[in-house]
Amino acid sequence: MLKIIIPTTMLIPLTWLSKSNMIWINSTTHSLLISLISLSYLNQFSDNSLNFSLLFFSDPLSAPLLALTTWLLPLMLTASQNHLSKETIARKKLYITMLTLLQLFLIMTFTATELIMFYILFEATLAPTLIIITRWGNQTERLNAGLYFLFYTLVGSLPLLIALLYIQNTTGSLNFLIAQYWVKPISTTWSNIFLWLACMMAFMVKMPLYGLHLWLPKAHVEAPIAGSMVLAAVLLKLGGYGMMRITVLLNPLTGQMAYPFLMLSLWGMIMTSSICLRQTDLKSLIAYSSVSHMALVIVAVLIQTPWSYMGATALMIAHGLTSSMLFCLANSNYERVHSRTMILARGLQTLLPLMAAWWLLASLANLALPPTINLLGELFVMMASFSWSNTTIALMGTNIIITALYSLYMLITTLRGKQTDHVKNIKPSFTRENALMALHLLPLLLLSLNPKIVLGPIH
Amino acid sequence: MKPPILITIMFTMVAGTTIVLTSSHWLTIWIGFEMNLLAIIPILMKKHNPRATEAATKYFLMQATASMLLMMGIIINLLHSGQWTMSKNTNPMASTMMTIALAMKLGLAPFHFWVPEVTQGIPMSSGLILLTWQKIAPLSILYQISPTINPNLLMPMAIASVLVGGWGGLNQTQLRKILAYSSIAHMGWMAAITPYNPTMMILNLMIYIIMTLTTFMLFMHSSSTTTSSLSQTWNKTPLTTALILALMMSLGGLPPLSGFTPKWMIIQELTKNEMITTPTLLATTALLNLYFYMRLTYATALTMFPSTNNMKMKWQFNTTKKMILLPPLTVLSTLLLPLTPLMSILD
Repeated sequence: MLKIIIPTTMLIPLTWLSKSNMIWINSTTHSLLISLISLSYLNQFSDNSLNFSLLFFSDPLSAPLLALTTWLLPLMLTASQNHLSKETIARKKLYITMLTLLQLFLIMTFTATELIMFYILFEATLAPTLIIITRWGNQTERLNAGLYFLFYTLVGSLPLLIALLYIQNTTGSLNFLIAQYWVKPISTTWSNIFLWLACMMAFMVKMPLYGLHLWLPKAHVEAPIAGSMVLAAVLLKLGGYGMMRITVLLNPLTGQMAYPFLMLSLWGMIMTSSICLRQTDLKSLIAYSSVSHMALVIVAVLIQTPWSYMGATALMIAHGLTSSMLFCLANSNYERVHSRTMILARGLQTLLPLMAAWWLLASLANLALPPTINLLGELFVMMASFSWSNTTIALMGTNIIITALYSLYMLITTLRGKQTDHVKNIKPSFTRENALMALHLLPLLLLSLNPKIVLGPIH
Repeated sequence: MKPPILITIMFTMVAGTTIVLTSSHWLTIWIGFEMNLLAIIPILMKKHNPRATEAATKYFLMQATASMLLMMGIIINLLHSGQWTMSKNTNPMASTMMTIALAMKLGLAPFHFWVPEVTQGIPMSSGLILLTWQKIAPLSILYQISPTINPNLLMPMAIASVLVGGWGGLNQTQLRKILAYSSIAHMGWMAAITPYNPTMMILNLMIYIIMTLTTFMLFMHSSSTTTSSLSQTWNKTPLTTALILALMMSLGGLPPLSGFTPKWMIIQELTKNEMITTPTLLATTALLNLYFYMRLTYATALTMFPSTNNMKMKWQFNTTKKMILLPPLTVLSTLLLPLTPLMSILD
């Protein structure tokens, strides 16, 4: 694991010691090389024996998330070059340092064995994200957005710390590989109910669950492009990953405690999808679509069947790539028109046809077109929830229709129709932007050829 | 004040605390407290304005009352155990009086009202000594009598301190009052763990002293006493801006900075002692503290407050202020978390 952690740490001195015309080149290249190393972990053995040390391990759930995280850093750096071009060199280096620090914490979070270390790094990812949102965001609302983000997550996660320490005292160890063999079934007493709530609420806030999702549209919209990318693609998956890890310790109480959250997620995914149909702000639309997809993941993790876990893992990876790509596309619009309002930049297909092709592919992936892994994830979750309760098929089916509706709405509003007058003199697409979209889409399409990599530990 | 006098006064103050720390006879402990108190009054009054006089008077009255209460506890202990040493304090009345006296000296709720007033009236360097050095002596006595303290007395005081420290600091813009409320809240955390595992109290004290020293020195470095003057540090010394950011997050207890270590260890010890709601309450209320530290961070590092154009073009001079050990302290107050197993040396 150190072969990823130490190079990522050394990206920081690399940034500060590079010449001013080489910082982007150096950091992007070296982070791409680091992501190549992480791809080797995708080759998992069937007996889950990929332990590197007492502190780090990698199993079929965390390896794809790790690969996603390391793949995303060069993409974030590529996407940030334009909006930082007018800053001083020290500020550019500081931004890259913040991104690298966040990357480092995320890598360690996904591979931590000890749950307290997972907790510390989970919280540690908040600070660089807060700095990126508040310092480099663009509107005054970013101050509120940062505070909401920080405090929602912290209020949810402090009970998690106490619950983890309590579990350590009763079970003896919080090392995940050991605890899964030592765990005792917990009964339905009031204190166990609070223990379950304390463990799960942190991840529910992070996912986010429908009632606790207020921080997400604020944070996603106000963050700069790299912040939005990392928030949507990876930080939300921290919640899903944490839930999948901690439910191991919480059986069989989950069967009874999960009902309110299942109801909230099932209803919330339809609500947030419907809100997408009425959004004027492009980034806000993508943010609410993230809530909707993550609600599916919550449903999948809470019903705890083998197919639903496979679907949840596939959905997390697929949504990470798709959502990040949609934010990059929205940012390419924002950099030209300097407004996130959708109707201000219409008819882009005639002006930027290649970008329109990326928009089309991203939206098709978002609405879970076969044979992408988005479809695989959604289909598995749908089938698992149908077997859990037949009525959910109505809600899931409605969600799929509304997802298709808003994805096509976004596509038609931005691409088709008559251009607005002020988009006629926008700059054409940069090669950097096309490369960015291609690098997002290529893993997504390749994974549809071999989805068993992202199907998680049950497969 | 003239150097020989300053040296004498400082020496008396240090000697007072050292006498408290190293003696086993209750009378010498009390003498040490009084030496400390008398020596610090001129330090609190470095600037001769009525506000400083008021602050010094309040401090003197408060601490003298607490010392008298402590003496009462000592005498009751003498009456019931027949000896002056520190080891046997098993009389509950004596123990209660001593605990209340020490709580008054520390500024635990409900005896916390003097802390913001006194800290606000005195110069920054005196505030530094007040909030860090002056806590060592009472906490050492609390450490030594900790087996006999009634938890039913100390825990409500601790919880109330954390609550007061959180809510009281929310409406403040003066930096010294903010640090005073921060001190009240941290004293609450320290008092909460004393009946169960006093070693963690020492850990918390050490890390709190390091962080508060660094905070005071950074504020003195940029000569700012209010939030709005702190918001100009980006122009005077840009590096201080980044350091204040990291330090405020550490004071608030955000992982992975060292301010998280005492909170984590205290929550661990409290859960080992079967207390669940208390650490939940303490941890959640500490978020109020984090809110006003974040507000300071926003003002300093993350946003630019409205200012005149003259404020945007300052010369950056070499500083002539005495910043003793500022770089090592800054490193210690932010990067100490991986060295948490090292705290077993405190046992």
